[in-house]
Amino acid sequence: MRLKCIGCEVLARAIYLCAAQSPHLVDVVLLERGLHNTPAKLRTQLQDQIDASAAQGYDAVVLAYGLCGQATAGLISRGVPLAIPRAHDCITLFLGSRQRYQEQFQASPGTYWYTQDYIERRSDQGSTLALGLGSDTDLQTVYAEYVEKYGRENADYLMEVMGAWQRHYQRAVYIDLGVGDGTAVEAYAQGEADRRGWTFERMAGDLVLIRRLLYGDWGDDSGSTSGSDFLILKPGQSVKTAYDDRIIDCVDLS
Amino acid sequence: MDQLLKDIYAGVIDGQSALVQEKVKDALASGLNPGVILKEGMIAAMREVGRRFEEGEFYVPEMLIAARAMQSGLALLKPHLQESDVKSAGKVVIGTVKGDLHDIGKNLVAMMLEGAGFEIYDLGTDVTPQKFIETARSVDADIIAMSALLTTTMTNMKVTIDALADAGLRSSLKVMVGGAPITDQYAAQIGADGYAVDASRAVSVAKSLLSH
Repeated sequence: MRLKCIGCEVLARAIYLCAAQSPHLVDVVLLERGLHNTPAKLRTQLQDQIDASAAQGYDAVVLAYGLCGQATAGLISRGVPLAIPRAHDCITLFLGSRQRYQEQFQASPGTYWYTQDYIERRSDQGSTLALGLGSDTDLQTVYAEYVEKYGRENADYLMEVMGAWQRHYQRAVYIDLGVGDGTAVEAYAQGEADRRGWTFERMAGDLVLIRRLLYGDWGDDSGSTSGSDFLILKPGQSVKTAYDDRIIDCVDLS
Repeated sequence: MDQLLKDIYAGVIDGQSALVQEKVKDALASGLNPGVILKEGMIAAMREVGRRFEEGEFYVPEMLIAARAMQSGLALLKPHLQESDVKSAGKVVIGTVKGDLHDIGKNLVAMMLEGAGFEIYDLGTDVTPQKFIETARSVDADIIAMSALLTTTMTNMKVTIDALADAGLRSSLKVMVGGAPITDQYAAQIGADGYAVDASRAVSVAKSLLSH
């Protein structure tokens, strides 16, 4: 098969590795991680890529994305099938299963997740926010802008309020994907945890979902109430949010 | 309008907390009716803040500092308010759902509702269905307001609504929901009574839920 993979750059190394080893011919397009903050814009860019691939001779398009704040809900498959992992966000793709992420989330919802590409590819100089959530905005720039507009006292208040959710966090996890040298990023994550008084954990990642996505091993969606690990859209179908364990589902457009 | 009231009104809109406090003190000292200060100074100002937000003139930071200015004035005013000055618009129990730790939006909704005369019982973040139920029961709430930022946690809104039904409370109060991944359709699907796209519109939704 000829596959076109459209993926988020936070998965870059994993995608390149699995694409290189895939039995299929895989072309990779990476989109910026910062698009997570603007789901509508991300959706438009994804749809543009999907639309363009219809005339490029691929047998299928695969998305290395999750639901990602509803960014992928509403995407339409064109001409060839579209495969998407059933995942809320990239953390599932790093951990290798929805169930594993769910267990981790239930055990400790206040977790910051760090991975190599995520940190390497950040665009800001300021503090980095959590995977799956993050805003990349440089906090110093924001603060300076607030001081100018609203005065220092209000600026201090706004920074405190806007950043308050970070205080609810208790744990930093570095996910080691075993691709490339993540030593520096792990040390950075450890440092952030120390600085903020969080516990630190190093967790082995699992590339199984990315590998299966790029190997064309998408499984059979029938006969399972929670759905298989991948949603496969036929041409002309659209992604919709499932609001249950399936996370995403497809709907016929007509 | 009295100049002090105008100053309070403008101070709240501009998010000038210290100025609002000073003018509220002056207004009280000059013998202005506390109920009038509240209604014509602060509640009216928050209504204008909400309007500007809906028009796209104000963003979240402007709303936050205005609400803070309003609250700082209200704190000074409260000891002077008589029962008759403040007719509660309703009692709202508010929190982010179980598993969700993100509360900027929820806090903003709480402040806007407070600015519109609602009594707020803020349960904070990561609120279990049981906690919503207990509080709603003990304060005799009119509305339960839930927020979620994540698609991983939004399904706990339905869990909470179902738990309210099991507890026999569902018909005696209204449920409103909001947060980044929430839509009208989702709100309808899980059986919520109301959904608002932002904190300003949450006020009109809450009012309309209690008006019939």
